[in-house]
Amino acid sequence: MTGSLAERLGVYLTRTWGEPVEVEKLARISGGASRETYRFDAKLASGRRPLILRRDPPGSLIETDRRSEFLALKSFHGRGVSAPEPLVLELEGAELERPFFIMARVDGGATGSPFQPDPYATHAAETLPIAEVCEAPALDACWRRELDYWSGVIEADELHPQPIVRAAIRRLYRNPPPPAHKLSVVHGDYRSGNFLHDGQGRVLAILDWEMAHLGDPLEDLGWAMDPLWRHNETDRVAGMLPRAEAIAIWEGASGLKVDPAAFAWWELFASVKGQAIWTSSAKEYRDGGYMEPILGFSGWLTARRHDEILAAKLAELAA
Amino acid sequence: MTPSVTEIMRGCAMALTQPPSPDAGPEFFASRVGMISMLANLAAQEAEHAASAAAAENTDMRALFAQAEAHDAALGGRLGTAARETDPDLSLTALDAANARLRRLLIELHERVEDAGDAGLDRAILALYVRMAEGRRLQLGG
Repeated sequence: MTGSLAERLGVYLTRTWGEPVEVEKLARISGGASRETYRFDAKLASGRRPLILRRDPPGSLIETDRRSEFLALKSFHGRGVSAPEPLVLELEGAELERPFFIMARVDGGATGSPFQPDPYATHAAETLPIAEVCEAPALDACWRRELDYWSGVIEADELHPQPIVRAAIRRLYRNPPPPAHKLSVVHGDYRSGNFLHDGQGRVLAILDWEMAHLGDPLEDLGWAMDPLWRHNETDRVAGMLPRAEAIAIWEGASGLKVDPAAFAWWELFASVKGQAIWTSSAKEYRDGGYMEPILGFSGWLTARRHDEILAAKLAELAA
Repeated sequence: MTPSVTEIMRGCAMALTQPPSPDAGPEFFASRVGMISMLANLAAQEAEHAASAAAAENTDMRALFAQAEAHDAALGGRLGTAARETDPDLSLTALDAANARLRRLLIELHERVEDAGDAGLDRAILALYVRMAEGRRLQLGG
């Protein structure tokens, strides 16, 4: 189908919602390299709706199922977590040619603050919509499923041999963590930069659910506390607060106790997962003819930073 | 290394030739140009250090292989051969190709060291990893 993206989106929404829809103010948002993200307004007879379009790109930083992300949002929207309302899921692409979904837009927020909200209200992970697409692992199998997946990504996508991350992977397999204390929905990219806040300590929306799955809740804490997200700070987690305080807040909010041995495993795993994502990014950058700068950036600068983090962690663990 | 500085520079040039998509809007285009500018700045940094960093890393790995040669009978011959190699061609392509070969051997060696429980050599390899990562460091704004 010809026409601008806005025109094609208008045709799709008119057909899907059964009433005339005009798409206005469509503009792409930077970041979110795994999906093309656009903000737009849908103009209907009943009024104007601020929306977000998340569309699969030709090449992506991470291979994720947009259905998982959509159902993750559905699992948490209206259940005490600030997840944007998911509205439309289109797996075939239709007028937009590639799979996409549409969700409500949250305006007026800034990113940050992973430790202030109550992101995981009481819930039974197996009963939520996301369980339709996410397998519920046994408590003692959460770690292996994640490590198998992400080490497999490195195996498949590595272009230059990476001895540091491979040493970390071997260490993780040789020293598995204790079973998860409970099964939770793991956001999968829970960190500063994936939250919108109002500047007054209130979280408006938790974003980027595309790596959501069921697993050990410590996985999200390990990812949020990875030194990569500290930026240039050395002492404060995510550049915001001391490590002990961050853990105490998480324990208070979750009702769980952080087992230091288990957490050490998930912290090392977080850096392995990061390196796997950057490895895929470098491959996509090359496969896509070097046209996407964000893929070059993460496959290069970020990968090198994670090599430093991993090397330091390995030396510390062996000391 | 992947991506190499050559690939990054080529990527910056190609990305700049791509016309802005009318669907994306000016804000996205400005952000994309900003990212290209940042990559070009990092590439300038890398161009200055990439060859010396690769050569230093190769030398460091070879020194470790010389140290490990006597510890591992099965790998000893290959370790000794690699330890005695040099880098006569200082082009980045040649240095990176040698680096890939040496890194593969290092992975193999480290796995065997772990299996053998050789704590001393394990610490030496882990210290090498720290130096390798530091030697490849890129600094935003550097």
